[in-house]
Amino acid sequence: MSGAMSSFFILSPRGDTIISRDFRGDSLPNAAEILFRKVKFWDKGDAPPVFHLDGLNFVYVRKNGLLFGATTRFNVSPSTTVELLNRMAKVFKDYCGVLSEESIRKNFILVYELLDEMMDFGYAQATSTESLKNHVYNEPIVVESAKSNLRMPKINSKTTPSTAVHKPITISAQSGGKQKNEIFVDILERLNVLFSGSGYIINSTIDGCIQMKSYLSGNPELKLALNSDLVIGKGGGGYGAVVLDDCNFHECVRLDEFESSRTLSFFPPDGEFILLNYRITGEFRAPFRIFPTVDEVSPYKVEMTLMIRADIPESNYGANVQVRVPMPRSAIAVTTEIARGGGAGLASGALATSGQTSEYNASEKRVVWNIKKFPGATEQTLSIKITLAGGGVGGSSTSSSGGSLVNSASTGSMSAGGTAPPPGQLIGSARKEIGPVSMSFEIPMYNVSNLQVRYLRISEQQKSYNPYRWVRYVTQASSFVCRVGTGSER
Amino acid sequence: MCFSGPVLGPGYHRHCTGGGRCAAKHGAASMSISSTINQITRNARAAVGQIGGGSDSRFFHNTSKKGETHELREELQSQNKDKKRDAVKKVIANMTVGKDVSMLFTDVVNCIQTANVELKKLVYLYIINYAKSNPDLALLAVNTFCKDANDANPLIRALAVRTMGCIRVDRIVEYLCEPLARALRDDDPYVRKTAAVCVAKLYDISPDMVEDRGFLDVLRDLICDSNPTVVANAVAALSEIQETSGQDVTLITGSVLQKLLAALNECTEWGQVYILDALSRYQPADEVESEGIVERVTPRLQHANSAVVMSAVKVVLGYMELCNPDVVRTLTRKLAPPLVTLLNSEPEIQYVALRNINLIVQKRSAILEHEIKVFFCKYNDPIYVKMEKLEIIIRLASDRNAEQVLLELKEYAQEVDVDFVRRAVRAIGRTAIKLERAAERCINVLLELIQTKVNYVVQEAIIVIKDIFRRYPNRYEQVIAALCENLETLDEPEAKASMIWIIGEYADRIENADELLDSFFLDSFLEETPQVQLQLLTATVKIFLKQPAETQALVQRVLNMATEGTDNPDLRDRGFIYWRLLSHSPQVARAVVLGEKPTIADDTFALEPALLDQLIHQLATLSSIYHKPPEAFVVRMAVPVGHVSGGVGEEYDDDLEYLEGEIGAIGAAKGPSKQAAGSGNGGGPGGEVDLLDLGGVDEAPPATTGGKDGGLDDFLGGGDSNGGGTAGSSQANTQVDRPLVCTPEQGGGIGIRAALRQEGGGIFCDMTFQNTGPTPLQVLAIKFNVNTFGITPVSPQIAFPAPVPQGGATNYVLPLTFAPSMVASGAPPSLQLQTAVKNMASGHVFYFAIPYDLSVLFAASGQTDRAGFIPAWKAIDDANEVTTLAGSLPPAFSSPDAVVSKLGSRHVAFVARRPVPGTTQESLYFSAVTVTTPPVHFLVEITLQAGVASAKLAVKSQSQTLAPMACAAIEGLLRN
Repeated sequence: MSGAMSSFFILSPRGDTIISRDFRGDSLPNAAEILFRKVKFWDKGDAPPVFHLDGLNFVYVRKNGLLFGATTRFNVSPSTTVELLNRMAKVFKDYCGVLSEESIRKNFILVYELLDEMMDFGYAQATSTESLKNHVYNEPIVVESAKSNLRMPKINSKTTPSTAVHKPITISAQSGGKQKNEIFVDILERLNVLFSGSGYIINSTIDGCIQMKSYLSGNPELKLALNSDLVIGKGGGGYGAVVLDDCNFHECVRLDEFESSRTLSFFPPDGEFILLNYRITGEFRAPFRIFPTVDEVSPYKVEMTLMIRADIPESNYGANVQVRVPMPRSAIAVTTEIARGGGAGLASGALATSGQTSEYNASEKRVVWNIKKFPGATEQTLSIKITLAGGGVGGSSTSSSGGSLVNSASTGSMSAGGTAPPPGQLIGSARKEIGPVSMSFEIPMYNVSNLQVRYLRISEQQKSYNPYRWVRYVTQASSFVCRVGTGSER
Repeated sequence: MCFSGPVLGPGYHRHCTGGGRCAAKHGAASMSISSTINQITRNARAAVGQIGGGSDSRFFHNTSKKGETHELREELQSQNKDKKRDAVKKVIANMTVGKDVSMLFTDVVNCIQTANVELKKLVYLYIINYAKSNPDLALLAVNTFCKDANDANPLIRALAVRTMGCIRVDRIVEYLCEPLARALRDDDPYVRKTAAVCVAKLYDISPDMVEDRGFLDVLRDLICDSNPTVVANAVAALSEIQETSGQDVTLITGSVLQKLLAALNECTEWGQVYILDALSRYQPADEVESEGIVERVTPRLQHANSAVVMSAVKVVLGYMELCNPDVVRTLTRKLAPPLVTLLNSEPEIQYVALRNINLIVQKRSAILEHEIKVFFCKYNDPIYVKMEKLEIIIRLASDRNAEQVLLELKEYAQEVDVDFVRRAVRAIGRTAIKLERAAERCINVLLELIQTKVNYVVQEAIIVIKDIFRRYPNRYEQVIAALCENLETLDEPEAKASMIWIIGEYADRIENADELLDSFFLDSFLEETPQVQLQLLTATVKIFLKQPAETQALVQRVLNMATEGTDNPDLRDRGFIYWRLLSHSPQVARAVVLGEKPTIADDTFALEPALLDQLIHQLATLSSIYHKPPEAFVVRMAVPVGHVSGGVGEEYDDDLEYLEGEIGAIGAAKGPSKQAAGSGNGGGPGGEVDLLDLGGVDEAPPATTGGKDGGLDDFLGGGDSNGGGTAGSSQANTQVDRPLVCTPEQGGGIGIRAALRQEGGGIFCDMTFQNTGPTPLQVLAIKFNVNTFGITPVSPQIAFPAPVPQGGATNYVLPLTFAPSMVASGAPPSLQLQTAVKNMASGHVFYFAIPYDLSVLFAASGQTDRAGFIPAWKAIDDANEVTTLAGSLPPAFSSPDAVVSKLGSRHVAFVARRPVPGTTQESLYFSAVTVTTPPVHFLVEITLQAGVASAKLAVKSQSQTLAPMACAAIEGLLRN
């Protein structure tokens, strides 16, 4: 059954109510507080995004540290509520420029105005940035982005800073004639890859999307062409073709020419929107390969060597690469060393260790290895030396009082409470506690799937209308994990 | 899919497809980028400057200064537009932080007289907030709304209608209907879509008005509107009305169905969800129609909005039942990719999808049988997603993928999160139980995990190995040795109990089973939890039966401890049974204790098929998240029109206090009898103080008082009623068994059933007392709270002729009377008696409510003569008339005679009947009067249509508040 939202609120990370709206008068006055408490002190781990409490249903999502919550008394479609909350976050972001506690607080009247246009009696009304523009009168107040321009790129004719997209949509509309006609296109791919200890890929998917943000005046019709040999649906396609398992389109897209020429035509709505989502599970070349090896040096010392190879062209690089390796609980000392010289026979050998750091965080029992820039077609190696507890004490294993069993030949030495287990066992379990190695990175101007934008045109070309078209490819790690093998297996 | 995280690329690269022209542009671009950004910033500052510099948050400052209200008022009256606007913003700022700015209401509302839309919207923002919390105040501005509803600007027209709909008081209805009717036919779609939702609002306040004015028909027409949002809102409003009224107002017929299917393509994404949900309620006539609909719905599976996808999946799954096998096969293939795609969304969407998929794979496992890999957990999944994926992995596990699943589960069992690891270990066990061919591999994995010596992994593994033994007896006992190595580390009851069970069961294969039990568990026998104690007891007896010679002392010791050393009745009883069995006949004992046990089965598909079917129909709703039918959690609390919830609660608290005092008084009066009852407690002075010590009013927790806002109103509706339709039926149970009004838990060992009855003009309460407490029941004090008719017991004491023993029950007739002092004046009328009862023996006081039906109070002398009826009817103001349409009555009541005799038997006296001119309808007139002092007269008109089992009821009474109740009561009589 469909049904309506009873109330909506935005809470700060500390639980303060920033925005709160009661749509139907059947919620509870302290619903926001109840939700925050429940989410903060859930019994085990994170609270599920939908739960029930005393006749009231709560739904929440987190966005940029803020908590967007809703309540309802109906047996609603929870996907609708979650999608609505996501949509609200997006619209607020479009109008305020950035989504943060500060920007919402400063623009609260605008937010309320938007909210009243987006929701009526708990039902979704206009929810696109575009359609709201006609009914919203408040002006946004710009908030400086907190982490602006961490790395300002060199100014050259071909680039514009990535923060250029962080501006509210109506401001640009306002400046009228001086308005720069531009459109930003991102081809974003997030990778989920799981390697076994021996480097074999167990599971891999690409979540991709083409995201756009349009500042074009007059919203002209655009045509965007993708690879002409694009195949949709598993099992099709010849060699080298890009095969999407599944994809879906923004509602503004007309697919008349999609079958014949893989061209999408659409009138871009204002603000950020996702033109196309796609998913690929077929074989692809992982941009990085991880090769961990673990050696027992002595009963209480383990050495781990972690070699990572960038399987991307030399012209590309991985940015902000971070590798995290959990260490065994019994580790008492860990030292790390970044191997000099990089891989064999590489020209960039001298550069290999520059911009790299590695450290062991004892409280989290984790080694973190940062590589600012990981050039394509190179290898980087980190060696980790782990000293395990018990080494200094000496393995004094107590005899056990355990039972001798009919089926077991002998259970001579048995652990007594686990204080000082025999060395062999200790290493065994400690090794299992190493890993999995997880990696995060971004690869600018590279995409794994080979999905390409052949062109982006305005349907009816006018001489006077020549917008700036900024296209960017980015590959990111979503979950890029390598398990550390336990030797004999796999 | 969302890439909301900061993407720190190096920046955008200009896409060069435009050839030469593009190259020429590059130089210029470098200049314009930085300058444009500066320009934008400047523009922004300038824009802000116009408003007054800074930001909205500045409106929060200076709020504590004296005379601030005065200052604001002056600014609101200012001629300067900007100043005025800023002032309104400041007022709103104050309002949102919870300050009372209602004293500025008139000043703000005066600002509405402006051509400036921005200012006008601000004022409406302010009013809409007050409309909900302070409707009377908002009503003051109603003339302005009516005027704005005729404004030239559609935005203003819509705002006016929207705001009026938010004022939840009866009186708004008279103002709202005209503008609403106009707005529904407005030329501008923005106004129409607002009006469509407004119909749902109006239905919430006054359902009759919506039906009388034919707004439902207009809504049905709006399904074909040219504007997508109007369509969406019309469908949403109809769906809501359908749900609250229980009537099928959408009535999907052939033409409506075509309308809906056509609208599906034109509608907004949210509207598509509503339409799909409406379609899922429709029963297609045959295979052809069903396949036709499915064909129109399947393209929705590609939608980017997960809500549309989920609802489409629901429709397709529902209709699949009717399709032919070929179509089913095609659809099965089509459903998988969209479901998998949902798993690449945000974790919240994933969670919703996974809970639904859990149901889908139980119903139709074929859909996702080849997709198990997508359910493998990602390292960074939130825990709630991981847990759900784990469930689905087990459900999809088969002989084909067992190897893969086991490797995966083993990895999970070595992760960091303790709860997840435990679940993973359990999952390995469940896989073993489910897949016989994989059982051995599972056991090996579990043994490997036990070798890690991680405490909680070991304990969890032992628990599941016990289950595996039960499933495959005498197959894997060689692993017991490995388990026994870990006896010392066990500290969780369940793991201990499992291990002890294993030792007992296989005592003949473990050489030193008795020693193991003795040295590891028996010393702490008395400190163990009952679960472990019971297992120890059974295991010892098993060992004794297998090796009687060596273990006699041991079993003796354990039996002693179990029967004499503990207070736990279960343990004692089991101890005694074993003891007697053993002393009576060891053969019998062996047959009982060592008998064949039924093997356990796979519990993976635990949902009952009936419940599963019900839940499949509830896919894409909250039901599917909780895996509970909607009745189990949807308690829609209808907030009464015109009552602000806070007020009701307070009033109620006062009543309780009053009640408490009264009870104290009864107690004091009956003090001696309490002493006589000789409970042996107390005995101190200040008996009265003691009596008043009710454990605090806060603790008086009867479920019936609810303690929540609107608790009272729930009772009006008679329990779970969700609309007028069922209200009567649940109350008209005077002839039915006495309902349970107080459970033994509530009543401290006294369970009470009670119902009101009228006999010879007197009112009695038939009560049944059930005593589950330890002491016999002799004397009770009883007291009603003030109530609508001033009903009160003749005697405040219930003295049973013979004490009710423990476990016994007795009937008691409590005579009631009417006392003017007990009339609750001012409170909304309620058909229940809030009752306090005190057990004079124990001093325990408890509270509950006795519901009753108004018809019980109808006097036999309710006859009004024909001549008197019409003047009487006319004398009553039309505002006091309540009408309702009672549909789907028992077929017998389509005949007027049946109605007359039925109502007559319940003291609703027949007056006259006449056919309605020009129709086939007939109107019947009745009157009724209550036995209360003063009596209340009701005049009733019932209109019947020949052959149709529904009736239109109209009730008039001098008492405006009681008329609706009488109407509900009469409807209830007709339904029973």
